[in-house]
Amino acid sequence: MTAISIGAARFGQMRHALGPAAIFAGLLALVALAVPEFLGGGGPSIIAQQATPILLVALGQCVVLQIGSIDLSNAATGLFCAILSALTLGPLGVASPLLCLAVVTLIGVGNGLVLVYTQIPSFALTLGTLGVMQAASLVVTGSNVVYVMDNMDVVAWLFAVQVWTLPVAFYIAVLLAVALWAFLRFTASGQGLSAIGYNERAAALSGQPVRALKVLAFGLSGFFAGLAGLCVISISGAASSIGLGSDLLVPSIAAALVGGTAITGGLCNPVNVVFGAMFVALIPVGSAAVGVDPQAQSIVYGGVLVVAVAATMSRSRNAIVK
Amino acid sequence: MIQTGIVAPDASRVKAAPILRLDAISKTFGTVAAVKSLSLSISRHEVVGLIGENGAGKSTLLKMLTGVHLPDQGRMELNGRAVAFRGPLDATAQGVGIVHQEQSLFTNLSVAENIVMGAVRAGSQAVRGGIYRWSTVRREASEVLARIGSDIPPDTPVSDLSFAERQMVEIARTIHLACQSAAAQGGAPLVILDEPTSVLEKAETEVLEAEIARLREIGSVIFVSHRLEEVLRICDRIVVMRHGELVADRPVAGVTEADLYRLMIGKDRHARIRDVAPAVTSRPVLSASGLGRPGHFRDVDLDLHAGRITAVVGTFGAGREALVRSLFGVEGHDRGRMILDGKPVTDWTPRKAIAAGLAYLPAERGVESAVGGLSAARNLTLVPHEAPWWLSPARRKALAGAWFERLDIRPRLPELPLERFSGGNQQKVVLAKWLARNPRVLLLDHPLRGLDPGAGAAVNACIRAACAEGAAVLLLADTLEEALDLGHEIVVMRDGGISARFDTATDDPTTLDLLEKMV
Amino acid sequence: MTTLTGTGGATTKRGAATKWRGGLAEVVILLGLVAVFSILNPTHFPTLTNLATILNTASIPVILGVGASAVVLTGRIDLSVEGVMGAAGMTFVLLSANSRETADIGWLAWPAALAVGAALGALTGAIHVLAKVPSFIVSLGIWYVGLGIAAVLFGYEMIPFLTNESAVAWPTATLAGIPNSFLLALCVAALGVLIERMTRLGRAAYAIGNNEAVARMTGIPVSTFVVILFAFAGACSGLAGVVGSLALGAGAANVGVGMLFLTLAAIVIGGTPLGGGRGGTLRTVTGVLILSTLYNGLILAGVDPSIQSGVSGLVLVAAVVAAGWSQRERLRVFK
Repeated sequence: MTAISIGAARFGQMRHALGPAAIFAGLLALVALAVPEFLGGGGPSIIAQQATPILLVALGQCVVLQIGSIDLSNAATGLFCAILSALTLGPLGVASPLLCLAVVTLIGVGNGLVLVYTQIPSFALTLGTLGVMQAASLVVTGSNVVYVMDNMDVVAWLFAVQVWTLPVAFYIAVLLAVALWAFLRFTASGQGLSAIGYNERAAALSGQPVRALKVLAFGLSGFFAGLAGLCVISISGAASSIGLGSDLLVPSIAAALVGGTAITGGLCNPVNVVFGAMFVALIPVGSAAVGVDPQAQSIVYGGVLVVAVAATMSRSRNAIVK
Repeated sequence: MIQTGIVAPDASRVKAAPILRLDAISKTFGTVAAVKSLSLSISRHEVVGLIGENGAGKSTLLKMLTGVHLPDQGRMELNGRAVAFRGPLDATAQGVGIVHQEQSLFTNLSVAENIVMGAVRAGSQAVRGGIYRWSTVRREASEVLARIGSDIPPDTPVSDLSFAERQMVEIARTIHLACQSAAAQGGAPLVILDEPTSVLEKAETEVLEAEIARLREIGSVIFVSHRLEEVLRICDRIVVMRHGELVADRPVAGVTEADLYRLMIGKDRHARIRDVAPAVTSRPVLSASGLGRPGHFRDVDLDLHAGRITAVVGTFGAGREALVRSLFGVEGHDRGRMILDGKPVTDWTPRKAIAAGLAYLPAERGVESAVGGLSAARNLTLVPHEAPWWLSPARRKALAGAWFERLDIRPRLPELPLERFSGGNQQKVVLAKWLARNPRVLLLDHPLRGLDPGAGAAVNACIRAACAEGAAVLLLADTLEEALDLGHEIVVMRDGGISARFDTATDDPTTLDLLEKMV
Repeated sequence: MTTLTGTGGATTKRGAATKWRGGLAEVVILLGLVAVFSILNPTHFPTLTNLATILNTASIPVILGVGASAVVLTGRIDLSVEGVMGAAGMTFVLLSANSRETADIGWLAWPAALAVGAALGALTGAIHVLAKVPSFIVSLGIWYVGLGIAAVLFGYEMIPFLTNESAVAWPTATLAGIPNSFLLALCVAALGVLIERMTRLGRAAYAIGNNEAVARMTGIPVSTFVVILFAFAGACSGLAGVVGSLALGAGAANVGVGMLFLTLAAIVIGGTPLGGGRGGTLRTVTGVLILSTLYNGLILAGVDPSIQSGVSGLVLVAAVVAAGWSQRERLRVFK
């Protein structure tokens, strides 16, 4: 081991640690130059509001990515949570969000259990779950918009209350990201998740409870998606299968990947995912600032997703990728 | 006339210019010299047997011949022209074919397609302009199959064939390609058979021998095998490799199996005489009685005692690896039972095994033991049992510091990802992961694989120290010397069963004694 | 040698029997469904009109399935079908006679739409191969890119309606009781069968799916073929977008909504496992017919049509589980 390669390793770690923040800062600077009034006006508040649901879904996604799997169903599960709570907030009040969170966490756990028991690829399983959740949302709402009839104040404070111009929900999401970071970094289970992502057989042969950890990852994915669903309700007071929050899947995966999460597993820093989510939330403003048609937003999201995964993927020359 | 590229045999058997000539080729990996200045010449119509112990450098030599590795030094000539293969495909295009131990057929396609698939590049007429001409595919395949004396119907899907039939298809495919390429180059083909008989039944081996006899009419064959009597029967000439060098090159006439053993091993080694032979304690920590798994091993009785090293030796395919994996619960066993501290175990899994104080060092480090992306220090704390759920960085640092010092792991940077350490140091980290738990049973599957001698000696010292502290050790050694050096007891396995046991203190076995029971 | 002759002959027969049984199971399921729904709903289900309806709804998934199963044969997956349908469909509408009067290039609008689809497919394949990124994530991104292109083409104006009424009526018009759309789908399926049976590209797709490492060692240009297959799949999605737009009679970005689940579920239930190497076009056609019959029967039975994606999702998971059940083992790595 030469001094140079140690230096290169440290540089690589540094780039990984600071890259997402730098990418976000770059886009922010671009926006600030093109639209100077953006930062002074309500801009930061709007970005924080839009970033929060993306961040929460992305946090769940990055735990699943940490074990080398993917959850294509969690955004739809989050929307289902929003619909459930829109239906139940009136009659149940405070109990409603807790109940809905419990339901979607169990859906995530169910995903995990089916995965470890049947050993099918996670993208196929969660694609199926995605279809089921979409159908469930349509059936439960009767294909209509469901408005919260009563007890809106149970969730409204998340975005109504602002601290230093940013909604309180954003701070909560950031705190959760920090908590998740600590969990992954300082606990045996967190280290086990990472070991599974890097080398599943070695983790199993070291006695890691691989199945339990996989179920845990998918359960967390469902839980965080549920929190995103509650944010949707808090922002709009209504939910429908095609309304706000129905389009979180690709933005949230892009946020996780821009945040430095490796799609091959093992490598993820939830704190950096915060920057990834803010970057993705800033894309509409940023692309408008450089003159991109707002209708072309999907193109930008898709492009960011592909570029981010290509840039963060660690690959060896002879590996077979399918 | 279909162009199969098979050249009519040269009836006169004149020793023309050699098909293959190697002149002082060498290959070094890191600090390990795998092949040292090796020279060899193979004539047309010659079947040459290549033998040597594991790690003698055979596979590196084959990889250079088939374009996987380029020699560091020396000159390779094929049909009289100097060659430097750009890759395996290039070697094939020049007329060198290899039949591997692991089969590489497309099991979902027919026999005919498998035979023709690779030959399309070498000028087969079966595919024109990207369109298949099925009648030509079948005809070409039947011709090749007939040429090697096989009458497998060319339309059969490979998935329906027996293992031996697949091997024949594999040989047919390799010959077809090698002949076609060699004809295009104006030379004769060289076909390498890498342990083709290790999984064949006796009758199937006879078929293979007939095929090799036909191959001799077409080109040359390099035959690699562990079964020495076969090598003597099939080959015209035998070359022996040891420690990366060619130590013997002689015609088979007058050579015996015993001669070959001696050549492979070098001097006949005895077990190392120890000062103190540890006593067998009253009760084994872990024992197997009548343990078996169909297709892998059977009727294994084994006792592992605290403070003793049991070395299990055997050839590839003798079932040693599968036995160890069953003992650790990685794979199940169908027959017999395992007894831990006098109590039979049920539903054995790695987690239960670890909880009971077992530790397992798999052979394939990169795939099964080292988590390359995690830091070395984190790899040390990867076994979750008894560890607190909260991983204190201070505790990890102290643990890593102590073990890095104790096993002399370099560089002293425990926070570096494990994949950035050298192989020997990675192995030390993985070993330290288990030693830190003071295991009662240590199952070691080729612990020195891929290590240079210095690192190997250090790992061996760790194993002895763990044993002295009371661990019962089961060792699958890379070489017989290693087994004789370390083992208190040596168990020989052959074809899934135990064929002999030696106590190194009382029996004083030699490498030849072990080899005789292995093959 | 005599022993080998014997086993060789026996195994050929055994192989043929397995093959036949394998294809038969799906046909039996299809006939079973038809029988069950005919008994449950004798007045509405077993009619010629309903047959035309089923075949008409099956035509778009069949066209998609031919391309998608060619990709799945190699062990890859193309999730971009809905987005590519949107982009190609909008291209077709805006280049045909429409209420916005953008342009009318006549029949050339068809190849133009196919070219858009093929280009997006080739882009997916090229990024996947060159950047070595898993195909599902690239195609997920291209899905969105396709939707974005469709949205940009849609712009902010009124919905562009197709004004050529005979063109709009063409897919549902019948020839000998069979809708034109399904006849078109059968032509595409025939092309798919030809490719996979008669061309080096098709045979290589099976080889790649069976053992990619060996395929590379054998000298098959794996990367090139994969890109070509993705482009073919994209062209199929483009054609499906055209047929879908004709059926709507207007341009819409979400012309392909719900098609991804249906197609993937049909591929897997038809007998092409996601790992690749087995199955193929005809299997997928059977799979589509099974699912189309199932939905038709359920809807005639009064079941909420919005559960369609849920049924597809469940069928997809069930079929993937059934296909992979025998491969489960203790230490298997699955992601």
